[in-house]
Amino acid sequence: MAGSPAQQRIKVDRIACTAHGFCAQVAADLFDLDDFGYPIVRHEHVGRHMSSAKRAVKLCPARALYLPSTE
Amino acid sequence: MRAHEQALVHALHAARLTGRGGAGFPTSIKVAALFDNEADLIVNACDGERGAAKDAWVIEYHLREVAEVVELLCAGGSRTVWWAAHRGSSTAGRLAEVGLPLLEVPHRYVSSEGSALVNLARTGVAKPLELRQPTADGGRDSRGRRIEPTVVFNAETLWRIAQIMQYGPAWFAAQGTDEEPGPRLVSLSGYLSHPTVCQTQTGVPLSELFATAGGLPSDAQMILIGGLGGGFVPAIHVPGLAWGRQWLAPLGAGVGSGVVEVLDPRLCPLVFMGQLIDYAAGESAGQCGPCMFGLPALADQWYRLVVQRNSPEEFEHLWHGVQQRLDLLRGRGACHYPDGVSGWVRSGLSVFAEHIHAHNQGFCPTGGHQPARR
Amino acid sequence: MTSLHGPISNETLWYTSRATGVVSMVLLTLIMILGMVITSMRRPYSSAPTVVMALHRWLSLGTLGFLALHVGTAIAETYVKIDLIAAVVPMASEFQPKLVGLGAVALDLLLALIISSLLRHRLPERGWKLIHFTSYLMWPAALLHGFQLGTSDEPLLRAVTVACAVLGVMVLGWRLFATTHDRRRREDVDAGQWR
Repeated sequence: MAGSPAQQRIKVDRIACTAHGFCAQVAADLFDLDDFGYPIVRHEHVGRHMSSAKRAVKLCPARALYLPSTE
Repeated sequence: MRAHEQALVHALHAARLTGRGGAGFPTSIKVAALFDNEADLIVNACDGERGAAKDAWVIEYHLREVAEVVELLCAGGSRTVWWAAHRGSSTAGRLAEVGLPLLEVPHRYVSSEGSALVNLARTGVAKPLELRQPTADGGRDSRGRRIEPTVVFNAETLWRIAQIMQYGPAWFAAQGTDEEPGPRLVSLSGYLSHPTVCQTQTGVPLSELFATAGGLPSDAQMILIGGLGGGFVPAIHVPGLAWGRQWLAPLGAGVGSGVVEVLDPRLCPLVFMGQLIDYAAGESAGQCGPCMFGLPALADQWYRLVVQRNSPEEFEHLWHGVQQRLDLLRGRGACHYPDGVSGWVRSGLSVFAEHIHAHNQGFCPTGGHQPARR
Repeated sequence: MTSLHGPISNETLWYTSRATGVVSMVLLTLIMILGMVITSMRRPYSSAPTVVMALHRWLSLGTLGFLALHVGTAIAETYVKIDLIAAVVPMASEFQPKLVGLGAVALDLLLALIISSLLRHRLPERGWKLIHFTSYLMWPAALLHGFQLGTSDEPLLRAVTVACAVLGVMVLGWRLFATTHDRRRREDVDAGQWR
């Protein structure tokens, strides 16, 4: 459940992540990859990158990205 | 919550008891969550940190009090309890002897972490969980399996609850500093004449802690506070230090789970660190890329930085590489294990900087002989 | 003799049905292969994964179009008796119930695959995975259905079907043994004592 963009964070389920690298492709404003192909989150608070964030969450093949509830 | 449950939560809140397992989370909140969620309970008596011995001490000398508290917290048997200890340990033996439900923990560093114990109890695998919500609330693991609400308490924390119930919150809060109140156990190990578990509190000078272990040897050079995830403190600082965040934090250390180790001055500290880094790399739970690849990479980089002669340019390059690697280990795993190792290595790089430079010039201040390649 | 399809001859309908059937089968083979590539390959620094994923998703939707024509023309054509029910309920066809039934199974599974993927984030991941694994049932069902019903007198179509089968099995063999750095490291660590 996504909350207001200002407080909404994007999180990586690090156990589910298997280095597909989709996030860095479809949301390059939010993610970089380290030297083993795993994501580095540039901005944990998505702010104006909400649409990128949602796209990355939707397309990750491992379903390893999530937008935690802000409540 | 029933009346007596609320009373207990209030007493713990007044005492300001925090978890003695290292995280220092307010115990009143955890106990309230236990009651509200009707969660199951795990007693963590693992002494998982390097040099830890206090959980075994609590089980050895205060098992009855802990068991009474557990009885109270578990509402007379309607909730499940596990007593967690490493397989084959004396603690495990004692618990089994008394007939308490034992959760046998494999000999892995991360297996005694709170969520790893929950995972072990619920699914049989002692690896930390990705916590989308606290285990107290229950939820799902990364594969979608349901994890029922479970709360983990350190054995010492439960003993403190018993003491608060017996002597009152005021007795508890009067000890130690305002910031970190209450009595605490500290395990003292390493280059000491009498390694021991010491009963103390924050505000007590470190020299008094060491006195209970036969005193800090005059040739001791370095102490490690907090084990593998902790910080190095040069022995020369000891006279001016007391146990507590306000004294230790400026030096990159903390009270944590109460572990103090005196390093053997006859062993090159960089060899000591290298051995531990290798150990740490092998102890990754192998669930998160940044840790399972990052720690072995760190070990390789460490060796190249400190166990060979490097030109100033090579050294500069390797140094930056290690710094980058340490940054990549922070906040990118399901648990805080890589964070701990990263902070510990960073601490070592700081206090052993001169020693590292000596190695790079081809000699070792400790052994006097050339450091060898791995 | 009146017919449902007006000026379009039965032959044209039958031809169209076979053609769209073969195209669908080729597409399904491709989609399955692309899916296996996503699972077993890691090129995180290139844009290839996103292209593969985009193709995997879009071709799936495109295949529905071809299948709609395939089923529609098969129903409209009056030479053999196949109605809409037979297209989705296995064994409900009067004509060749088992073989048409295989097609129905494949179609049902494809619909389940697509719908579950569009609704992926509302489903438990294990449920989505289970449905997605039925693609390994859907594909051979479609192949067998096509091979037996549509290619007996057309050596070219037969060859295409066989080629799809061979290619699919080869890639499946690769997928079973291929490994990624991530998978290998996890397995290495799991070999230790964690229980």
